[in-house]
Amino acid sequence: MRAFAYERPTDLADALGLLADQGSDARLLAGGTDLIIRIRDGSIRPRTVVDIKGVAELERGIREVDGYLSIGARSVMTDLLRDERIRRDYAALAEAAAVVGAVQIRNRATLAGNICNASPAADTAPALLVYGARVVATGASGNRTIPIDAFFVRSGVTTLAPGELVSAVELPLPSGPRGAIHVRRTRRRGHDLASVTLACLIEPGGITRLSYGSVGPRPILAVDETGVLADRSAPDDAKTDRLAALLADAAPSPTSMRASPEYRLAMLRVLGLRAIRRAIERLA
Amino acid sequence: MTTRRIELTVNGRARAIDVLPHHTLLEVLRDDVGLTGTKECCLVGECGACTVLVDDVSVDSCLMLGVEADGASITTVEGLAMGERLHPLQQAFLDTGAAQCCFCIPGQLVSAAALLAGIPHPTRAEIEEGLAGNLCRCAGYEQIIEAVAAAATAGDQTDGASAPHAGLPAVGDRASTPDAELAPQ
Amino acid sequence: MTLVGSSPARVGGVERVTGRQAYVADIDLEDTLHVKLVTLDVARARIGAIDTIAACDVPGVRLVMTSSDLPSPMPRFGPQRRDRPVLAVDETKYHGDPVAAVAADSRDAAEEAARLVRVEFEELPALHTLAAALAPDAPLVQDPALRPNDPQAASNVLHEHRHSWGDPDVAEREADVVVEGTYTFPMVTQFAIEPHAFMAAPDGDGIAIWSAIQHPNWLQRVIADLLQLPLAKVRVHAPDPGGAFGGKQHAKYEPLLAFMALATSRPVKLVLSLEETFQAVRRGAAEVHVRTGFRRDGTLVFRDLAADYLIGAYADIADRTVAKGSYTSMGPYRCPAVRIVARSVLSHTVPSTAFRGFGNPQQIWAVESNMNEAARELGIDPLELRLRNLAGPGEEFIPGDTPADGDWSVAVRRAAEMIDWESPRPPGRGRGIAVGLKSGPTTGLSYSTVRLLVDGSVVVYAGTSDMGQGARTIFAQIAADELGAPIEWVTVVSGDTTVVPYDQQTSASRSSVFMGTAVLRACQDIQAKVRSMAARLESVDESSIGVERGDVRIGDRVLPIRDVVARGLGRLGGEIIGVGEMRKDAEPDHPLGGTAAFYEFNCTAVEVEVDRETGDISIPRYVTVSDVGKALNPLQVRGQDEGAAAMGLGHTLMEQYIWDDAGRIRNLGAIDYRIPTSMDLPLETQSDIVENADGPGPYGAKGMSEGALLPVAPAVAEAVADATGAVIRDLPLSPERVWRALQEVREPGEAAR
Repeated sequence: MRAFAYERPTDLADALGLLADQGSDARLLAGGTDLIIRIRDGSIRPRTVVDIKGVAELERGIREVDGYLSIGARSVMTDLLRDERIRRDYAALAEAAAVVGAVQIRNRATLAGNICNASPAADTAPALLVYGARVVATGASGNRTIPIDAFFVRSGVTTLAPGELVSAVELPLPSGPRGAIHVRRTRRRGHDLASVTLACLIEPGGITRLSYGSVGPRPILAVDETGVLADRSAPDDAKTDRLAALLADAAPSPTSMRASPEYRLAMLRVLGLRAIRRAIERLA
Repeated sequence: MTTRRIELTVNGRARAIDVLPHHTLLEVLRDDVGLTGTKECCLVGECGACTVLVDDVSVDSCLMLGVEADGASITTVEGLAMGERLHPLQQAFLDTGAAQCCFCIPGQLVSAAALLAGIPHPTRAEIEEGLAGNLCRCAGYEQIIEAVAAAATAGDQTDGASAPHAGLPAVGDRASTPDAELAPQ
Repeated sequence: MTLVGSSPARVGGVERVTGRQAYVADIDLEDTLHVKLVTLDVARARIGAIDTIAACDVPGVRLVMTSSDLPSPMPRFGPQRRDRPVLAVDETKYHGDPVAAVAADSRDAAEEAARLVRVEFEELPALHTLAAALAPDAPLVQDPALRPNDPQAASNVLHEHRHSWGDPDVAEREADVVVEGTYTFPMVTQFAIEPHAFMAAPDGDGIAIWSAIQHPNWLQRVIADLLQLPLAKVRVHAPDPGGAFGGKQHAKYEPLLAFMALATSRPVKLVLSLEETFQAVRRGAAEVHVRTGFRRDGTLVFRDLAADYLIGAYADIADRTVAKGSYTSMGPYRCPAVRIVARSVLSHTVPSTAFRGFGNPQQIWAVESNMNEAARELGIDPLELRLRNLAGPGEEFIPGDTPADGDWSVAVRRAAEMIDWESPRPPGRGRGIAVGLKSGPTTGLSYSTVRLLVDGSVVVYAGTSDMGQGARTIFAQIAADELGAPIEWVTVVSGDTTVVPYDQQTSASRSSVFMGTAVLRACQDIQAKVRSMAARLESVDESSIGVERGDVRIGDRVLPIRDVVARGLGRLGGEIIGVGEMRKDAEPDHPLGGTAAFYEFNCTAVEVEVDRETGDISIPRYVTVSDVGKALNPLQVRGQDEGAAAMGLGHTLMEQYIWDDAGRIRNLGAIDYRIPTSMDLPLETQSDIVENADGPGPYGAKGMSEGALLPVAPAVAEAVADATGAVIRDLPLSPERVWRALQEVREPGEAAR
């Protein structure tokens, strides 16, 4: 691996100062499960790696704040899986976190890092999208929140401004019961990158929030307010047209080696219907 | 290149060493500490041959910098046995024939130790899940799974790498397809 | 208690589970230089000027070696043909073919310098498919000058192998049904968890090599030949490999390291990355066209098979895998008329080499799938079709070769019983069955020396590489039994050509049979000496003394061998040395150069469930049964069979190299080259063995370790066809491929959904 300098600031101001000074020559290190791979393969060549795990203001914790469940920047996938509230109220996120790599990866990979990489195949992204999460971006001028749907731009690109970092990911607290699920397609049962990743959330009022990734440059959120998809008495056949409309933004890469566009699109429909069915069951 | 002094505990022994910032924990353990039981294979966090415990949590040491381990307590495969007395997992791996070429086995053992620390009596599905990040190309998975189950039954997880982790919820239903629901409840 | 047939703790097991086992990468010599290969990110290129100035300026760099630093003409080597250069010269032949190598004080410096080597090159069209390599206007992969007196030197066909008996064209008239198909098998890689590692160091007036190598003595010859040294001046250390699977049989970068060690006068070490191992070893891809004729009752009438194997840019041992793999394309069946034509086709890809199964899995995928298609067409149960045609014990099913050395129907019936073949399929599930046959070693030579020390402990010298199969344990069991020592008192020494007697190779599942016999004979040599000793001590005639296992019988008395030895050796102590040899000479008139020492036979039966919407296959039940003659160590036998099964599921379900149009490997590395994890196993695996003590090895053992991999793919594909009606002739059976096949078998109206 190429050499770089290592900084481990202990407070936020220092961390932000390093980002401000070095710009894109500095890279933040949280879990490192993506960063180190990319440094080793030469796709990024940071001059300085800024380890944020010593920053006092950045938490490794999950707590309720003003109507939101706030997941600190240093929280790893395993933390999400262990959290009773996430398992109970954000089942799709727990399920997504459970398939991010194998155990050793989940013990290191942070949720914040996962979204900052903005991989189109990131499993947590569709879950965050259906739950209407927001990202707390912290910069020199303080905090701002970005709706998760406005955060992703394309692979590796977010609306985070230069000099900003993600200090938390926040999920609105549930106002009532809902059924949600995360599903995916992979090439094997063991850990793998998803060729389709999809989350579905159904509310008692009949609103269906569907989000899907790995079928285009960024994960997509589509909402059905017609009640057609959430209709528990309607057969799958009655939902296919509406579902197709919701999935219309999918545009899988024709050059991916993991699956062809036809297969991804077909699986998107299959997974969509399955997820809706199971989400309805869970709502019950 | 400037080194950085780190202090860490490796298999119970406190050490202070100078490491280069871009060297991974795997390199530090193998080259600087001289513990070569931890193996290098894929270097992308897929194979688990480099698995060690950092403060009782299993990680791929190829994806962690050595400098990040400053202040940490590391357990490698060399730290599982108590002197000449094998850890129950090590004995079980020998008893079930799970130890073939053994290049993956240090990682398997460390992952298994972490698994049993969190779930003392795992189901087969939990063992499969817990060891999915450790590839074995001799593909002795059946005997490895048996070994972990046997060590769990042997029960005496008092030495070595035990850690007081809450058990994780069962994830992954082997009877189902990969896209199937992963029930966290 | 006899140890043979039981499963004592693995010899070396404690070292292996405690992390103390030293693999090549773990060995640290003083003053070692670290080597990094310089490669181009193209497949085929004309190499221009190489500028090493910047690389040489990196602190700590001691050598940047290019082809111009090597003797001219470039030294070449290879187990079949001397076609592989020590470093690429003039042209790179495949993605990863090294053009230079750096040696430096640290890995960091070597990597940094390797990045700074500037290579001018011109990319050239590369061939990575059979169609492209066989096109009339295809560029030649190998310079015809490397193939003197070869009539096919102006093509990319390296060799065509023909083997036949009877006349299929005539026999075809007798056939009621002819079943025909073309089947493809992709390129896959060994993916040993230990990436290949090599060291070389000047050693007095010779050289020492360390390599995770299966054939240390073969490597010794290669190095001696390249450096023009006597064999005795080339010392090959072969620490136990961390998995090999055929990929570590033959020299790869040891010659390069030898030249670098001599150039720097220092030890040099190269540990490949996993990516580099993908660029060093693989299995040959194949396209196999099969036509098989049957009578209405299922009796085989003829088979006509044409196989093209896509091998790499250098021959390595690939052409032998083609010859030997295709030779048994009739399988374990009796058939009066057979024609087999198999070609090794060169391409601009990673040189293919030995890989568990050695050319057989490719054709077995084809012919056993063909048998299953025939069963459906004939309306005969696939189990019944096999039993009807299976050669019986002693039957010469391949004319001129070793007759069937087992009652293979026993294994087939056992597998069928274990999967409950006759019971109705659970709803939605399908079952499949297939068999695999492989010819064992055709020649072989193993020597062993055994020393019985004065206290009754034993040192066994056996040059087999213990790469996970547990060879040391087998030899220790044999010696312990024969010489009456506890197994803990037996030390097995291997992996050093200066110390350990010659062994031809660790391959073809031979070691229990060949080296096992050599060890047994060395022990018997000791027993004979003990008999003489006892006769002298007791002043009786030798004929009245029996030495069996660890006991010396003198009339009615039974004495432990060690008591006799201690007494016989007397006050000076000493030891008794026994030597043993197992030899199977070449038979020049045989198409393979020799008949089969034994056959490996396996029957695999599976039950699968297919997700019809996604194409995903799950395997609720998996059965594998091997005919092993005698299980010397049942636990290790089980590990080999179940491991082979799981490895076979890899190429069946998920593994393959993916290439870009320019011939570069796209899925280079563990993220996109998928192998099975612990979650990808069948839900339930049952393995069993047939033991009739009918093998040529010690106590009736046959070789085993590859058999259980052979029929995995056709058994699974048949179960998929049984469950869904989708017949698939290409591997792997990825979800997407199965899904596509399901689209085709659906009713048109349904497919539109």
